[in-house]
Amino acid sequence: MASEGEQTVKLVSSDNVEIVTERKVAERSMLIKNMIEDLGAPGEEPIPIMNVSEAVLRKVLEWCTHHKNDPAPSQDDDADSRKKTTDIEDWDQKFMQVDQEMLFEIILAANYMDIKALLDVGCKTVANMIKGKSPEEIRKTFNIQNDFTPEEEDQIRRENEWAEDR
Amino acid sequence: MSGRSTPTLGHSASNSRHVRNASHLEHLKKVQLNNAPARSNENVFASLRATAMVESKPYLPAELIATILDYLPVPDLMRFARVSRRLQEMVYDDTRWIQKLRQMGAWNEGEARQRVEEAMKRKTEAQLARQEGEGKKGIAGQQQFNGGGRRHAGSVTLFDAGVEEQRYRKSLEQPQSPQHRRKGTLSDGFEDLTISGSPSSPSRGAQSSLNTAAALDIFKKVRSIRGHARQEFGRVYGSLAPIYLDLARTKGHSDALIFRTYRDPEQQAQILSNLKRFAQCDLANGWEQREEKLDSMIGVFENAVLREFEQGYAADDVPGRMRRYAHVLVSLNGGNAGIDSFISNHSAMARTQRIGNPLDCLEDVAPGHVDLNPSQRFFEQLASIMVQQADVIDRVFPTSVDVLTPFWIRLCETIVADYLTALFDEAHARGIETYVKAVAGTFGQALRLVASLKPTKAAPPDFVEKSKQTIVQCFEKHIDLYLAEEFQNFTTKATYEVDVWEKQLSEQEASTESFFMSNVNRQAAKRDFLSSFKKVVMMPVNAFPMSSPFGTAKPANVAARSSANLDAIDTSYNPASRPRTPTLTSSTPPPRSSTPSQDPPTTELAAKTAIMNSRLEGIKSLFSIEVALNLTHIAKASIERTAMMVQMGGRDGEEAKKQCERIFVTLLDILGNRHIKAGFDKAVNHLGDYNPREVRKFKSESTTDPSTHIGVEPLVTFLELVNVGDLIQQMIDVFYNQELVNTKLIESDDFLAAAVKDKKKFEQMLDERVAAGLNKGIDVLIDEVEYICATSQTPTDFNPGPQGVIDIGPSPTAKQVVDMVSGHTGMLVGSTDKNMLDVFNQEVGLRLFGALCKHFKRQRISVDGAIKLISDINHYHAFITTLKQKPLMPYFEALREMSQIYLVYIDPPTSVFASNAKTGKRGSLLTGKASTTSLQAKELATIIADSQRYHGIFPAEEVYEFAERRADWYLVKGDVERAMYGVGCVVM
Repeated sequence: MASEGEQTVKLVSSDNVEIVTERKVAERSMLIKNMIEDLGAPGEEPIPIMNVSEAVLRKVLEWCTHHKNDPAPSQDDDADSRKKTTDIEDWDQKFMQVDQEMLFEIILAANYMDIKALLDVGCKTVANMIKGKSPEEIRKTFNIQNDFTPEEEDQIRRENEWAEDR
Repeated sequence: MSGRSTPTLGHSASNSRHVRNASHLEHLKKVQLNNAPARSNENVFASLRATAMVESKPYLPAELIATILDYLPVPDLMRFARVSRRLQEMVYDDTRWIQKLRQMGAWNEGEARQRVEEAMKRKTEAQLARQEGEGKKGIAGQQQFNGGGRRHAGSVTLFDAGVEEQRYRKSLEQPQSPQHRRKGTLSDGFEDLTISGSPSSPSRGAQSSLNTAAALDIFKKVRSIRGHARQEFGRVYGSLAPIYLDLARTKGHSDALIFRTYRDPEQQAQILSNLKRFAQCDLANGWEQREEKLDSMIGVFENAVLREFEQGYAADDVPGRMRRYAHVLVSLNGGNAGIDSFISNHSAMARTQRIGNPLDCLEDVAPGHVDLNPSQRFFEQLASIMVQQADVIDRVFPTSVDVLTPFWIRLCETIVADYLTALFDEAHARGIETYVKAVAGTFGQALRLVASLKPTKAAPPDFVEKSKQTIVQCFEKHIDLYLAEEFQNFTTKATYEVDVWEKQLSEQEASTESFFMSNVNRQAAKRDFLSSFKKVVMMPVNAFPMSSPFGTAKPANVAARSSANLDAIDTSYNPASRPRTPTLTSSTPPPRSSTPSQDPPTTELAAKTAIMNSRLEGIKSLFSIEVALNLTHIAKASIERTAMMVQMGGRDGEEAKKQCERIFVTLLDILGNRHIKAGFDKAVNHLGDYNPREVRKFKSESTTDPSTHIGVEPLVTFLELVNVGDLIQQMIDVFYNQELVNTKLIESDDFLAAAVKDKKKFEQMLDERVAAGLNKGIDVLIDEVEYICATSQTPTDFNPGPQGVIDIGPSPTAKQVVDMVSGHTGMLVGSTDKNMLDVFNQEVGLRLFGALCKHFKRQRISVDGAIKLISDINHYHAFITTLKQKPLMPYFEALREMSQIYLVYIDPPTSVFASNAKTGKRGSLLTGKASTTSLQAKELATIIADSQRYHGIFPAEEVYEFAERRADWYLVKGDVERAMYGVGCVVM
């Protein structure tokens, strides 16, 4: 088992590019970790990561490499364990300075590959993007169509006046 | 509203939206396909998975958006809700707000469930009512119903205050027809929840102005209603968020909004505590800094309040500042800091006031003793402190916090533990006995202290139990050593006691011989002893476990008694008041008091001791009842001390219980095997060595008083031993019942317990010794009977010769024998159990019978002497009757019948023959006389042959043997034989 750290795994992205990485790095992803455990013989069989393109996969693996020595995520991911997640680290903040499309891709990939910490970082980044913006700005940022009438929107604003910043 | 839901599609809100947003349908499909792995636990969002992010290429699924929303501060959430319908739906989702409430501890699942159930119940009721109504109203009613349903369909998800308000107004408008209103809610039972008392939209009140009063008890007002979690949260947020955010922004504490708004420390504390709760739901970026800020603010505030509290404490301002700031501290964060300060500032804790020096207990006391008065004072002081503090605590602290328990724990941990350790260490250095007395004594005192504790209003119901455990913990580290030492102490002392006695015994051995002999005349004293012994001892013992006179009174005062005993033990072991031993001479080293029962007995055991000792004066024993008493005393002291420890409970309590049993077993071992067994063995040997001739020699020297009964000395001694042994056994039994069973140290029905087994063994051993001794004793007794018969019965007693019988009555020999035997049998009455006594008496009777038969067969008895013989036999018979042994009666009745053969007068044929020979009228005379003689002989023969007479005890042959002892036997033999067998003529 001592050699586990040096073991490598082959990942195949959705566009059929093979990426070889350390097993330890890859196992940040619970999806891959479970797969390896199920397959039993790592390294030989390439693992297909079907929903993730090469660019995103490399980005994700970059994050994984940086975080490969983090403690394993706790198993009980109930609602309250989310409560005390810390703010985004500086490195992660820089890491997330990508265009919005990439950011979403990373979040989706993290979700698909079941990398909880990365998903959290991504979501927090998006939350920070939303913070302080008016509804119109949010619509612009995320390209969302407004399907409220002005009266409806005002109604919602009024019924939530208690939440306004003072 | 109507803009949101088209009437035609009112049955499904989501469908309607999908249709309306037809332009998104393609994207929706795409998203759905792309997101195959949907987490099952988020199926709340399953129907919403196809969501916004319209023209952006990657589409975030709903669950991810929900996650993102978790990290958004509330104001941003609400702005986000205004972006689009779907997003609003997600923001408004009730579970999100329930979770936030739950994080603050303001959500009560039970309450929510109850409300839902109520709603369901009402719903079914309404349904029933509706069915009835339908029947009456017909189509018109149905139409109305449909309209209502439609109107509310849109509110299933968009469930805002506007709708609420509208509905409320509606319900006000139509109070006369609740049925109608309910119909409208049938589409969703969750909406029809009771909002007791204040159904007006709650979210408005808080936002209009900062309602300072509301913020104080905001958490008490939060209700757990499904579907209304957002509104409830809104109220909390509206009240607390401004203060919270302001706190996070401000630099110093002086200009913080909270301190500007609230002037009262009580209110400030309440708000701070509310904020602390509120902070739990703050998940957005930067919460750490905010919480830190809040914490530091609380810390600053707490310190300030604490300072006030301490000043109040120093000024002893109990009802004023102390009380006020204690309440402030409690409402701030449970008041731990205040309690801590309160406890550690107490003079005893702060070591400014010193209560009791542990070494006082060991000053000026004899070795092996400990003066428990200083420790008693120590514990009393503690008790008074506790009572006083309980009072102060009641006045200072609110009833929601228990201050007395931590105070007590601290008191035990710091003061009591130190005191005990110092005391025990020193006591142990002084000696084992001092140590065990100190441990048990202080433990008893500590328990009494616990009993005297008065719980405060806030103390938990198990306060007494808890405080006992606390004090027990103080003793826990000493218990193992204590138990070991206690056992050791007992064994040493008991062994020493027996050793001393044995040594004294062997020193006295030489003088004992003469002591034995000189003590002839003590039967009366002994009888006296035995009767009183029977009265005093037997009665309570027989009555014992059921309803003994002391048994009833005892349980009530066990506690008091055992505690008193602990003190009394010290004095009771004072050699000066030791009851006098009845055994050895006054040269015994410790000067023993001859008035044993001076002090009023504390236990019936002691009472018995006193009585026994006074009665046993002058009685020589081979083992000493006094030693036994001392041993039981030591055991009692040890067991009582150990039993005290049993109250510790738990493992140590069990250990102590076992220890009690062990002590008892050891007591039996030392008392039984070493002491009593040796005594009995010696006594049996004495019996075996008994030589009647020595007695004769001795008798000739000392029997000056003719009325003196001669006893078989070793047997008398032995019977005394039996008495004493029996006494000891009963003592042990009482001891066992009282000290072990009554105090629940041993289950009385647990026949496997070592104590019970050993007790049985002890009793068995005693019985065996007694039986062996009695067997020997009977031998000796009968030897003595034979000796008396052989030496005192003169030949003329039964054959007085020509002068005839001088006086009628039993011969001195018979009197002597009966007196001696009855003396010995009488001694046993009441001393051993009845079966044993019966067996003994029967054996004595039988053996006596045998001895008498043998004796009579050695005599020659004339018709005149027969009267004497008969009176002898009657005397024996009367004695046997007193024994009340049925099986013996036939023997002596047979003997009485038999004696009649001597009474039959037969004319002596030889004398007739001789005189006739001279006169020459032999033949005629012979025939004439022969008829008289043969007639008389025939009569005798009938008596001899009548085996019925003798109850089958004597066969005819044996009676014949007796008949041979007739003085005139050789004269009448022929006639009798002829009469008996009808063969006489052939011989003739």
